[in-house]
Amino acid sequence: MSIAAGVDVGSLSTKAVIIKSNKIIGFAIIKSGPKPVESANKVMEQLLNQTGIVQNDIKRAVGTGYGREKITFIDNAISEISCHAKGAQFFVSSARTIIDIGGQDCKVIKLDQDGNIIKFITNDKCASGTGRFLDVMAQVMNIDVSELGKLSQKSTKPISFASICTVWAQADVIKHINSRRPAEDICAGINAAMANRVSMMTNAIKVEKDICMTGGVAKNQGVVKALSSILGCKIKRIKKADPQLIGAIGAALFAQEKI
Amino acid sequence: MRPELKEYNLDWLFASTFSVAKNLGKSSPDELEYVYKYIPYVRPLLKPVLETGKPALTFLDLFGDYYTDIVNAKENGKKVVMTTFCFDPCIFYAVENLLPVTLEIGTALTSLAWKRGSTDFMDYCTEIGFSETGCSSQRGAMGAYLAGLGAQIDLVALNMGGVCDTNANAYNFAAQYLDVPYYGLDYPSELTSDEAREYHHKDYRNLVRFIEEHTNCQFDIDRLRDVLEEKRKQDDLMNEIEDMQRLVPNPVPGIYHIMIYAARYTYSGKKKFTKMLEEMVEIVRENVKKGLSGLRNGVEKNRSFLVYIDNYSYGVALYEWFEKKGISHLGNILSRTFAETAPYTTGIPGTAYRIDTTNFDTMIDTLADINARMPMTRTIRGSYDAPNMWLDDTLSLAKIYGADSCIYLGTPGCRNTWSNIKLLARDLESFGYPTFIAYGDSFDSRVETWETSEMRFEEFYKIRGLL
Amino acid sequence: MNNVFLEAATNLENASIKKWKEKGGKIVGYTCSFLPVEIFYAADILPIRLRGIDAHSMEISDSYYGPFVCSFPKAVIQLAGSGKYDFLDGVVISNGCDTLRRMNDCWRKMGEDIKGTLPSWFYYLDVPHKPDGHAFDWYVNQLKKLIKAIEQQFDVHISDDKLKKAINTQNAVRRIIWELEKLRRETPLKITGSEAYSAIIAGTLMPVDEYKKHLIEFVSEIRSRITDFAIDKKKVFLGGSICDDFELVSLIEASDAVVVGENVCFGIRNEKDRVDENENPIKALSMKYLSASVCPRMMGWYKDRAAMIIDRVRKIKADGVILQNIRFCDLHGTENGLLERDFDKNNIPSLRIEREYGPLTETGRLKMRVDAFIEQLKSAGINPQ
Repeated sequence: MSIAAGVDVGSLSTKAVIIKSNKIIGFAIIKSGPKPVESANKVMEQLLNQTGIVQNDIKRAVGTGYGREKITFIDNAISEISCHAKGAQFFVSSARTIIDIGGQDCKVIKLDQDGNIIKFITNDKCASGTGRFLDVMAQVMNIDVSELGKLSQKSTKPISFASICTVWAQADVIKHINSRRPAEDICAGINAAMANRVSMMTNAIKVEKDICMTGGVAKNQGVVKALSSILGCKIKRIKKADPQLIGAIGAALFAQEKI
Repeated sequence: MRPELKEYNLDWLFASTFSVAKNLGKSSPDELEYVYKYIPYVRPLLKPVLETGKPALTFLDLFGDYYTDIVNAKENGKKVVMTTFCFDPCIFYAVENLLPVTLEIGTALTSLAWKRGSTDFMDYCTEIGFSETGCSSQRGAMGAYLAGLGAQIDLVALNMGGVCDTNANAYNFAAQYLDVPYYGLDYPSELTSDEAREYHHKDYRNLVRFIEEHTNCQFDIDRLRDVLEEKRKQDDLMNEIEDMQRLVPNPVPGIYHIMIYAARYTYSGKKKFTKMLEEMVEIVRENVKKGLSGLRNGVEKNRSFLVYIDNYSYGVALYEWFEKKGISHLGNILSRTFAETAPYTTGIPGTAYRIDTTNFDTMIDTLADINARMPMTRTIRGSYDAPNMWLDDTLSLAKIYGADSCIYLGTPGCRNTWSNIKLLARDLESFGYPTFIAYGDSFDSRVETWETSEMRFEEFYKIRGLL
Repeated sequence: MNNVFLEAATNLENASIKKWKEKGGKIVGYTCSFLPVEIFYAADILPIRLRGIDAHSMEISDSYYGPFVCSFPKAVIQLAGSGKYDFLDGVVISNGCDTLRRMNDCWRKMGEDIKGTLPSWFYYLDVPHKPDGHAFDWYVNQLKKLIKAIEQQFDVHISDDKLKKAINTQNAVRRIIWELEKLRRETPLKITGSEAYSAIIAGTLMPVDEYKKHLIEFVSEIRSRITDFAIDKKKVFLGGSICDDFELVSLIEASDAVVVGENVCFGIRNEKDRVDENENPIKALSMKYLSASVCPRMMGWYKDRAAMIIDRVRKIKADGVILQNIRFCDLHGTENGLLERDFDKNNIPSLRIEREYGPLTETGRLKMRVDAFIEQLKSAGINPQ
């Protein structure tokens, strides 16, 4: 009955997952602090408290994300790319392309038929194409970022954005709000702009089916739908876990493999 | 790339648009307004152009022909050579089965006349491996051609080596990507020495051999002579306009500049360009006779010299703004020819070119000289403060045209000018020219929207008390 | 790690340079691998490659260079403006690329503002973008002009004999570097990429006789090593923009990898990469230095370069290639895009990364990518054929 743990220190949130015999027995998500080691310790502490498991019960732990090598309670560190690929395949075994849109970066990972990574492309140069873009736009719209997806479902005429730059797009959103364009159309436009930006990366890597999404933005149905439309095929949803946890789940799976 | 962009080829869109648009000369003002309602994105370019009268119709006719020929090239047994704006295309017109397509004009036209500009095509270039930071002027149209949304390209020939890496590199990339033959003229950093001149001539002869090899065509000497003599006429007409521009008020309508250089880079040596210039000269002469300004509202408050290029990212918004403010546009780096007959060329040997159609050799040398004195190939090839380079040229031209201020507009991809614009601006200021550096992208409004650029222009002109 | 090489690679005014100056020797800095160092050695002048390491800020160079330009020449200007290059008796700027050639303009302007930062001799070498025909003749002529200018400035005479002697010495060094390159390919691997790399860079930063001596000792020491440290490490080939900040190599190797070869503008390409000793010296130097095989500035020669790089990768049996470019380097940035495509066609895994030159402030971002790439190589177990 060996327990494995995975911890993923992201730019905005830190996640921890505990698995036992391929089943998730607990998880925790906290807001990341400035020091990754402290965030990792904190989320692990919270998870252990939650589940009543103690550190010594954990046979092996893997860390991923920013500052992963410095995490004290792990056995080894593995990149987010490998962990997201691992975690995604756990839920969608047919996955050949994984699109991970996190708080501050975006990755597209391509796998071969055996699930090995053959190519990946990342963007962390600017906010557009990352969760940050949506956060900023949601703020301008004065709604919670989780509303962006829901609201956009009602849109019949999505707004077209002139610019994908987060800074300029804000001015555009304000302009549309002042012109009393329906909120759902603005939200749909925001999601479409985001998907367009991501599509540059998917086009560069030439995605293959099945495609699935991980990371917080995968919870935004508007972006998922817009991206599906651009890619010309359905994106398989990860239903059995929060997409934000996929990195940590992958890390835990790597840990489990070595037990 | 959005699926709707793949429905029509880019050059086909230009061919149809311009070929149809030239018939608007027959419309009444009401009919024209009615048409404008249906073309909200082409209107910002078309309206001010049509207001120039006859030259507009020739301009549209010229571009209609240019792009129609490219679209029908294969069918008509012609090859298409991809080239750059600083490469005088008249050499290509001297070959019967060859047509040039100039990328930057295509990018500018797409940026001027299409809803989202050419940004989809620019992004496509990045998707296929081209550097995202490369100059946007090539990337727009290049994306279309590389995506197969334009005429088939048979060869690539240009002349920016040594002058503009990002340009030459873009064409090199296109040639590799399409797997077609490539020839790039290379320029040393000096202009006027005999050595440099010899280098230009030898390099150009290699280019001629390259063209012959890849078109299976020998140059027709009479045809080449005709083309060069036509160019001589064009130079004379452009020189006359440049000369009249010195008057106060400036009688040349600002929009003439973009019409002239857009046509020059695509249709040099062809009769319709001569016709357009003749029509323009007639109008400017009339303005001179009546002492009129080329500005629509007739009141010239400021004369601005653009030290580099214009802005094409939102209709001809820059020109319209100049018109609104009463700012006379004195042309930019793209407007100059450096023929020895131009009013601004000096008597210093080697700085200008002379057209000599005596024999094939003299004509090839002439073409080599012309290409080495095209706007960028001349002005930004050597140190900015060397004789006949950017500072020297800018100061001379600003003085000749009586400029009150200098404006720099370019693209973030321009390593060359961004590596010395601060130096130039400093020197211009010390010579008494208020100088403004814009940080936008002339072809890509995503970098800085026109609203923001306009705001910054207002600020500059206001604070420096120029209006 | 060899201390002499490490010291040279990490210090702008390293011990050898100080010693040379104390002896009253002249030092000239140069920007680009298209400059034949033999010419300076023939004049008994120490040529050193200009670098931008240790430029932690850019406020001086931002006054001259605009934004949107490569950080390498900016870093050089920053250091020069901070007085760090005051020990130079001269500088030769060549037109490696637009941004680099504008260092001529910016440095001179800075010299007007900050007294003492412009070396007493400041020369521009005009290198063609082609290797043959009239371009070759032009380059030969440029070298002749350079020689005359050095003779005039430094009151020396550069004879053919002196050139031949310098060529001879440099070729000897190249032969030893080739030995080093061969050692890098052996298994078990005996030398890390950062060791090899610092040794190669050091060759552009110290007097050749001293360098040769240390290099011979170094190669001999490596040969005698008994190691097995590299058994699990993945072998990586590095390509792209100028890369004398060898911490990048160290960063890659920290991800359980070893850099076994590079295609950057340092070192040598292959066994034949040397100056012809039977030919007229200036012509021979031109034939070696004006090569299309090194740099994307030589436009129209991509296919040859790609073929050469793929051949090297295969011979070295690298597991994968990392292609780096400095942000705003369009030449390498684009060529890396073409290379990536061709590597894919040849089943060679590759990773493209973009970076800023200088103190590696974005190590986390780079490390994540490199880690992921090495993990990818490990899980695939691919060996290019």
